[in-house]
Amino acid sequence: MIDEARIITQLKEKSLKEAAFNTLVHEYQEVLYWQIRRLVISHDDADDVLQNTFIKAWMALDDFRAESKISTWLFRIAINESLNFLEKKKKNTDIISNAIEGLTNQLMSDPYFDGDETQILLQKAIALLPEKQRVVFNLKYFQEIKYEDMSQMLGTSIGALKASYHHAVKKITDFFQQND
Amino acid sequence: MKDLMNEERFIEERFGNENPFRVPNHYFDEFPQRVMKRIAQQKRRRRMIRWSIAAMMTGIVFSSAFVLDNFRQQNATLEADNTQYIEDALDYSMINNMEIATYLTEAE
Repeated sequence: MIDEARIITQLKEKSLKEAAFNTLVHEYQEVLYWQIRRLVISHDDADDVLQNTFIKAWMALDDFRAESKISTWLFRIAINESLNFLEKKKKNTDIISNAIEGLTNQLMSDPYFDGDETQILLQKAIALLPEKQRVVFNLKYFQEIKYEDMSQMLGTSIGALKASYHHAVKKITDFFQQND
Repeated sequence: MKDLMNEERFIEERFGNENPFRVPNHYFDEFPQRVMKRIAQQKRRRRMIRWSIAAMMTGIVFSSAFVLDNFRQQNATLEADNTQYIEDALDYSMINNMEIATYLTEAE
C-alpha cells in the first residue's frame, strides 16, 4: 500500500513527478486492468484503454485537487475511457444481437480467456445489461468495491447504485432461466 | 432484499467468483515501462510543439520588423522625391516673364 499523501506531494515536485507516477502505475495497474478488461473483454483492447488511462492521468495531474483519493480518481478515468471505447466500438456494430454473437466467437477464440460455456453465458448476460448496470455489477460482484467508494468514482448516489446492482442481478438470473 | 440475496447466491453458485480472463506472461512486469516510455514520448512531442511555436513566433517578429523597416525606407525615399518635386515646382513658379524672355533670347 502506498502512502497517498507522500505521493501527492512528490507528484507536485517537478524533479520527483516521474518517479512518483511510476509508483502509481505499479500500484494500480492490476486493479485498473481488471476493471477495464471486464468491460472491454479483449486483452488488446484492455491494454490500449489502460495505457490511455495512465496517459490521461499524467496529462491531468496538475488538475488533480486531492479532493478524492488518487485510486478513486484513477478508477473514474479508467471507467470513462472504457465507456468511451465501447461507445466508439458500438458505432461500428449495427445491431446489438450481432455484438452479442460476436462476443461468443471472440471469447471462444481468445487465447487469454479460460472460461467454459457457462462463463461465456455469464459474459453474454453482462454484455446485455445497460452500461451503468454493467459497470456497477462488475465493480460490486467481481471487485467487491464498497458502494461508498463506487459513489465517488461514478458520481452517483448510493441508493441509485444499489438499485442498479439489484436490477443487474435480476436481469442476469432471468437471462439464465431463459437460456439454460 | 431477500430476492436479491437469493439471486446473488444463484449467480455465485453457478459461476463462482473465479476470473476466467488471463493476461500474457510478464504483462504486469513490463507494462509500467511501456507507459513511462509513452509518457516520455508525449513530453518530447509537447516540447517540440512548444519549440516550434516559439520559433514560429520569433520568425513572425523578425519578418514583421524587416517588412516594417523596408516600408519605412521606401517611405523615406518617396518623401525625399516629393520634397525635391515641390522645391522644383516652387522655383518654377517664382520665374517671371522677363526671365523667360531672356532665357528664350539667349537660346536663340
